[in-house]
Amino acid sequence: MSATDTTPTTDATAPAVARRPRFALAVEPRPHAALGTRVATIAACLLVALAGGALLLAVSGYAPLDVYADIVETSFGSRQAFSQTLVVTTPLILTSLAAAVAYRVRLYTVGADGQLVIGAICASGVALALGDDLGSLATIALSLVAGVAGGALWASIAAVPRAYLGTNEIISTLMLNFVALNLMTYLVLGSRSFWRDPVSAQPIGRQVPETALLPPFFDQADIGILLVVAVAVGVWLLMQRTRWGYAVRVAGDSRRAAVYAGIDVRRTIVAVLCLSGALAGLAGAIQVTNVTQALDPDALNPGLGIGYAGIVVATLARLSLLGTVPVALLIGALLSAGPGLQLLGVPSAVVTVLQGLILLLVAGGHFFLSYRVRRVRPTVSGGAS
Amino acid sequence: VNDGTVVQFLMIAIAAGTPLVLAATGEIVSQRSGVLNLGLEGIMLLGAATAFWTASASGSAWLGLAVGAASGVVLAALVGLMAISLRANQIVVGIAIVILGSGIASYLGEAGPMLTQREPGGQFEPLLSSGAADLPLIGPILFGQDVLVYLSWLFVAGASWYLFRTRAGLSLRAVGEDPATADARGIAVARTRWVHVLAGGAAAGVAGASLPLALFGSWSDNLSSGSGWIAFAIVIFAVWRPWRALVAAYLFGALTSIGFNLQLLDIPVPVALLTALPYLMTLVALIVSSVAAGRLGAPAALGEPFWRERR
Repeated sequence: MSATDTTPTTDATAPAVARRPRFALAVEPRPHAALGTRVATIAACLLVALAGGALLLAVSGYAPLDVYADIVETSFGSRQAFSQTLVVTTPLILTSLAAAVAYRVRLYTVGADGQLVIGAICASGVALALGDDLGSLATIALSLVAGVAGGALWASIAAVPRAYLGTNEIISTLMLNFVALNLMTYLVLGSRSFWRDPVSAQPIGRQVPETALLPPFFDQADIGILLVVAVAVGVWLLMQRTRWGYAVRVAGDSRRAAVYAGIDVRRTIVAVLCLSGALAGLAGAIQVTNVTQALDPDALNPGLGIGYAGIVVATLARLSLLGTVPVALLIGALLSAGPGLQLLGVPSAVVTVLQGLILLLVAGGHFFLSYRVRRVRPTVSGGAS
Repeated sequence: VNDGTVVQFLMIAIAAGTPLVLAATGEIVSQRSGVLNLGLEGIMLLGAATAFWTASASGSAWLGLAVGAASGVVLAALVGLMAISLRANQIVVGIAIVILGSGIASYLGEAGPMLTQREPGGQFEPLLSSGAADLPLIGPILFGQDVLVYLSWLFVAGASWYLFRTRAGLSLRAVGEDPATADARGIAVARTRWVHVLAGGAAAGVAGASLPLALFGSWSDNLSSGSGWIAFAIVIFAVWRPWRALVAAYLFGALTSIGFNLQLLDIPVPVALLTALPYLMTLVALIVSSVAAGRLGAPAALGEPFWRERR
């Protein structure tokens, strides 16, 4: 099974006389990477990503170690800072789950940002309509349910064509992000809609009633973080402990095996993508009722990247559903440091650069978990074994 | 509606379609070799930022274009390293490139001296301002464009000829369709893929550079606003053929142009809804084309890493 695999520029079959490599690399499959190997690989990926970010910072005249210390300080440095990190982590856990459930079935949705926006529109719409009429519990429950339903319905626009026609879900979910963003902009900036503040001269969103706010948990964080961790456990139970979850996993491993097992693969695809949308919609609902407290096109702008960050978290957690919670805290800390960095005069986009590097390296690092690379002495024929 | 409006509509359609033509044609070349470079949006954003910075500092639009292309090659090399050498999931790699490219571009925009505060330097101007460009109607449309429009036509013609009329193009397509057989025939699969991924990256970098240097005349954060993704979608509608990509790109350019012209004519249509139009149409066209063709026309080994020892 072992064979030679050299770097792309050197051809292993080239005559040895013409070009004898100093050494060759043999690549062997590795059925199960030990826990130590996995931890070491992930740690190496993170270190290289940090080094890459440091290089960018150093080249543009910032002190990388100071900036990294600032990131830790602004996200974990005080009780208040940590509570702010929890606020950012809350929607991030949901968008990570949204990515993880779909990617496990090889459905590569990039639509969390748009579903989040639609969830926010639906949830704030319900909260505004209810006003102070109902008690707090009912208002919270109904607006969160509206966000979940909105996210799922928005996802279904891409899910149904994906399941029945094979329409590329990456592009369709992405286009829907832009449509959702423009819809939100229209509701607040482009029209005198129900969502727009009727009094203010500035085009801003109408404040949601206080009955829609989740009870506080600690400092700036509300109990949303607890709710979301419970959702993560719920999704894990659904996927790992139910018949339906089993069917989804079979369909994820092999579409053909699923068909033979009598599983309706198309309906499974629709259900998984809608579940993913529902999770992102819930993120939008929590965000709009508790963080922005009004439909705010700037604050809810997908450009902030909670959806993309969810993909980073899910990949870094190797699509483990419960694993998204601690990893989301890590990336959430990075995200929440962004605005603070800007105040310190450091470009906040360094946070985005680090996420991109982490995702890229983790995607590539997977190779070292599945294969062992060994240095071998080349034989006379130019090959190696 | 007079002639002036029609001319303006068509000119903007072509100008707005040109970045899409460049990026989509480059992506066709890359995908024909079997590598899905989903990172176009990130490459375009980085190309735009580096090109604008260079043109602003040096005063030369051509130098800016070259630097934009070079930054496209650098990001495409990361795609190659991960997707070809390390056999990573090409979709995840693509998303990573989008985040990384847009992150570095925004970083350059924020880092002092800020890009938004820089004076535009070199720009691509219309090639001919008089003579043939004075002909009624077709004059400005055919002869009054900037040089990148003509370059994009050359690129499409060249790519089409290369893919379907040369031996190298045949090898390239063989690698994308059936890398094992191509390998057995003595074609260096990894090398072929590397070369064409880098070429596609350069094209996307030029497409990004064209945004501040020709289309908008200035730089702003996230200025490509999804063009990279639309270019990727165009590859699918165009069934991996450069000339069809040109037509599709101009149709999308026309959608942008409709929005722009309605605003100029003071027709009261909400701006946000007009902005959503190209994205909505991409979605509709994507669904319609999957009804019509499914995966027809896609290179058979698209997105599949090649393992010589796993045959």
